[in-house]
Amino acid sequence: MIDLLGITKTYTTGAQSLQVLKGVDLAVETGELVAIMGSSGSGKSTLLNILGLLDGYDEGMYRLDGKNMAKLTERRAAELRREMLGFVFQSFNLIGFKSAAENVALPLYYQKVPRKERLRRSHELLERVGLLEWADHLPSQMSGGQKQRVAIARALAAQPRVILADEPTGALDSATSEEVMSLLKELNGDGMTMVVVTHEAEIAAECQRTIRLRDGLVESGAHV
Amino acid sequence: MFDRDAWLEVAHNVLAHPLRTTLTGISVALGIFILVVMQGLGYGLQNGVEGQFADDAVNSIWVEGGRTQMAYRGQQPNRPIKLTNADVTGLSSQADTVPASSRRIRLWGAEIVWENPNGENRGGGFGVRGVDPAHIDLERSVLLSGRYINDRDVIESRKVAVVGPNIVRDLFRDVDPLGAFIRINAVVFQVVGTFEDPGSRWENRVAYIPFSTAQQLYRTDGGVDQVLYSTGDMATEATVEQSDRMRSWLKDVKAVHPDDSRGVEVDNNNEEYAMYASIFDGIRLFIWGIGLMTLLAGAVGVANILAIGVKERTKEIGVRKALGATNGSIVSLVVMESTVLMLVSGSLGLMLAVGLLTTVAPMADHEYFQNPQVDHRIALFALVVLVLVGLASGLGPALRAVAIRPVEALRDE
Repeated sequence: MIDLLGITKTYTTGAQSLQVLKGVDLAVETGELVAIMGSSGSGKSTLLNILGLLDGYDEGMYRLDGKNMAKLTERRAAELRREMLGFVFQSFNLIGFKSAAENVALPLYYQKVPRKERLRRSHELLERVGLLEWADHLPSQMSGGQKQRVAIARALAAQPRVILADEPTGALDSATSEEVMSLLKELNGDGMTMVVVTHEAEIAAECQRTIRLRDGLVESGAHV
Repeated sequence: MFDRDAWLEVAHNVLAHPLRTTLTGISVALGIFILVVMQGLGYGLQNGVEGQFADDAVNSIWVEGGRTQMAYRGQQPNRPIKLTNADVTGLSSQADTVPASSRRIRLWGAEIVWENPNGENRGGGFGVRGVDPAHIDLERSVLLSGRYINDRDVIESRKVAVVGPNIVRDLFRDVDPLGAFIRINAVVFQVVGTFEDPGSRWENRVAYIPFSTAQQLYRTDGGVDQVLYSTGDMATEATVEQSDRMRSWLKDVKAVHPDDSRGVEVDNNNEEYAMYASIFDGIRLFIWGIGLMTLLAGAVGVANILAIGVKERTKEIGVRKALGATNGSIVSLVVMESTVLMLVSGSLGLMLAVGLLTTVAPMADHEYFQNPQVDHRIALFALVVLVLVGLASGLGPALRAVAIRPVEALRDE
């Protein structure tokens, strides 16, 4: 599903330039649940952004579902994000003035799905994550675990090929972390490919494989 | 395309910060209000001044004799200058084309009397002018009934009169004056027409009679009080050349010193009107300048709150991008917001301005200030400007929103 070969990325701020990724090689197979671990500064956020087509890379090759992701225009990247990728963030990033159902429906809005159909599908997804009765609540009325489940439902809305989760349990206590992880594992059980960035060993342990990053290079677990 | 969700979002964003939105809205509304009200007042002023010109044809040159101030060619100063029929012929030869013209003889206080069928005499003191047929256009009179002085009247020195509304009112009241015989300073004239002069109260107290009749009766020396020339559609510069030529010719013939400004009067209405017109062009420009600047200040306010809004929503915009929002949809979100803000508050200002002008306008009636009004084209133009400025003021913040990188927006501190 995901193939990276010799990916490099350098950030330049003023006169200083910092090479964050120094030639990353890795592969994620379809249906896998993979953790990416690394200390802060290891380049894992940058890697996730590149995987998520939120940021470009300098050199190397990135193939997503067999397609080359080199030199995408902003428009094409947005289109691919819409169609192929679902995001789950540490701080949920739900839109505060929209109800749970509307938040889940947002990716469908950008796919120009009609409003009725959007809301029908968002209700189905909320049911899937066990929050149907919370559909009309605002994020501020929900607990952290509930918010993350809404965010996961939102990530699923566009029927992506891969879900990228950035510290999905970073803002949650251990009980709710467990809830969220079992939901992710359930979805993985349904066949969804998942990449989870984490710095918690317990979370990584729940994944099938752990890719360890260190100083911009893959230290271990690059391939199955 | 009507996108319900997009509009809901705009409504939400606008209403989320009522104080901020209201304050910005007021500055935009004030901008358009000031622009439109000042335009209206400018119109009032212009209408007033143009009313002053409505008395006489704007495209005309008026010639009359004066009194010399300087000694010249052996003549003492303080000598009255009188025009004659021969002078008029000579003056006319100085014109570029054969112009429509009218000689004029003026009587200031003539007694006009009408004996009504009951044998009562009704009369009063009025003005009398001996004129040529072209006078009707040069004086901008409007014929109300009957006819004006014609060529035959002048050739045959007929004793006919065209009377103004004040004479009709004072002498005839409800009786039709056409065909009636009146006495002007004891000479009998037949009324052949009535007129009014919308530009001059004085002219409405006047009776016009044929020039030749007036000259025979009142200027037995063959004098001409005034000559009026139409300049047709000549350019202002050409008319100025012509009036200069007439002036120097007349001064030469009448032995008036070239620097004597009082000896003869050759007044070119074109020149005066052009001067007022240029003053009004200046005033209009000034009003537009102030109005647009005020509007611009409002637009800066709108751009400012949008920029703050974008800053506040950095994270949200980042999420939207991660979820597949295109740059276009982000731009349209911000630009729609700015345009809605500008349009709603601008329309309020516009309505207020129109309301003020339409309720207050009828009360304003001063010699130099009449009928302040909203020019619909300006109102329309103002709306177009609002939309454009709305788009423009949204564009900066929108581009900033587009430049937000989801990577940075979503990074947790």
